[in-house]
Amino acid sequence: MTVKDRSRKRRSYNSSRMMKSAIIHAILLLFVFIALFPIYLMFNAALKTSAELFQSFLSLPKDPQFKNFAFILNEQGYKGALYNSMILSTSSMILTTVVSVLAGYGFAVYRFVGKQWLFLLVLTGLMVSETSVLIPVYQLLQDLGLLNTYAGMILPQAALGMTFGVFLMTTFFKDIPRALIDAAVVDGGSDMQVLRHVIMPLARPAIMSLALIEFMWAWNSFFFPLVIATKQWLMPMSVRIIDFMGRFTFKYDMIAATTVILFTPILILYLITQRSFHRGITFGALKD
Amino acid sequence: MARFNIRPYIFIAPALIYLGIWIFYPILNALVLSFFDSPTGRSRDYFWVGIENYIKLLQDDLFLKSLYHNIIWVLLSIALPVVLGLLLAVLLSGRGRTRLVYASIFFIPHTVAAVCAAIVWRWIYDPSIGPLNWLLETIGLAGRPWLADESIVLIAVNMIGSWSYYGFCVLIFMAGLQNISPELYDAAKIDGAGALQQFFYVTIPLLRNAITFVLVYTIIGSMKFFDLIFVATNGGPNEASTVVGLRIYWHSMREGRFNYAATMSTILTVVILVLSVAVIRQIVTEDEED
Repeated sequence: MTVKDRSRKRRSYNSSRMMKSAIIHAILLLFVFIALFPIYLMFNAALKTSAELFQSFLSLPKDPQFKNFAFILNEQGYKGALYNSMILSTSSMILTTVVSVLAGYGFAVYRFVGKQWLFLLVLTGLMVSETSVLIPVYQLLQDLGLLNTYAGMILPQAALGMTFGVFLMTTFFKDIPRALIDAAVVDGGSDMQVLRHVIMPLARPAIMSLALIEFMWAWNSFFFPLVIATKQWLMPMSVRIIDFMGRFTFKYDMIAATTVILFTPILILYLITQRSFHRGITFGALKD
Repeated sequence: MARFNIRPYIFIAPALIYLGIWIFYPILNALVLSFFDSPTGRSRDYFWVGIENYIKLLQDDLFLKSLYHNIIWVLLSIALPVVLGLLLAVLLSGRGRTRLVYASIFFIPHTVAAVCAAIVWRWIYDPSIGPLNWLLETIGLAGRPWLADESIVLIAVNMIGSWSYYGFCVLIFMAGLQNISPELYDAAKIDGAGALQQFFYVTIPLLRNAITFVLVYTIIGSMKFFDLIFVATNGGPNEASTVVGLRIYWHSMREGRFNYAATMSTILTVVILVLSVAVIRQIVTEDEED
């Protein structure tokens, strides 16, 4: 093979490689567009007036209507809904995380009779959905007098995320080198000391992941709050949106502003803590 | 073995008691309720009816239809976001840091509440002002009333679900791909394997855990779908997009037929359990290894 042949071959190899990389890029960008376009639409609609919106959904707002948000929050009384969402998500996050960390410690550090079976029981809980337990949960809340209360909204919501929490914490804690725990125990550390001084510092990112995911789930939750909080003053944002849709079906700008108010806190949280989110989401799938 | 130690039980007790009250007791309670009926609406003067509710359920065309829709939903979700997620993850596997940027963007829809997603996509699908029909008509295709057409509404709503789900799948598969050592691909190349062969004989088998996880997650998620459909179509038109979750909500919260709805809940639980049991078993055998 002459030098010329070789260089020609390399050139064609390069151009086919470039072709391939261009196609891959095009595909990836297409899906970036698909992911972001509806979100663009949501923000765009929220910043337009209804009249402008009906002219075109797609064009950028000529005169961004930031007062849409103020109107929703103050005059439509959605500030309360935001507050309710905050209470629901924060409480359910704290409750789930604390209980899951304790259980994760028990499952990951100790060997005990019935461990496999109890862990299996928790795993089966992962498969349970709101709709499967709706009626008994509703009746239980009724009996306890907790319908239309914050506690009534928070307690079952926390349970839905707890099976995941226990599973995630157990798998994470198992990765902590056994020697570190044993050393602490030999030094006379109690369980609480081991948990606080060995486990917690090493597992802080994991616990953070869990807390974030639980917060997001509760913030976006809809089914239980819909059924349990039927009084307007108690409804979280996710449920109040539906209320708004019912009353003002064609006020797209207002509905869009409400969806933006619901979505933005989670978006910001996600953008700041992506790695944490990703870690929590992928960890369970990766254990092998 | 060591002597009996009470301490681990103290640590797991809060979780087990909590889940017992809010998850396990309700499941059993739904099972019990399904064998009873009550004379009027929400009253609790239950009387035993045996399997009568189940017989009624099997003759309830709307319920069977909704269960069928749930199954279709599972299949669509596997065919679209799961397969797509796998392909995108493979496409991303070659690149360095930009990989994470792409994955982060793909994941953003997953953080949008189903309620919001449904609202925004209702606009996209809107037959008169929606951008989708506008786009189709611009390139010379016919637009459709996506959410009002019985024959396509289920697929149209599933697209919304797929939109929020594919980024999740990318993330899981990408993390799984990281665990595959590049040497395996080198070895396959030396043996003369092309890109497709590498995909089917190296990537797929080694992603087994990630794939199983995503499949089970998809099955569970698909069977309990509610929020998205409730807001997007509320099961319509003519119940063409109804799912079991909607039927349960309707019969219990609107009609007050708690026992009948509880029967549906029980069947839903059993179906999910049966569909996912193989994989749960796998997770547990892994757990026993250490």
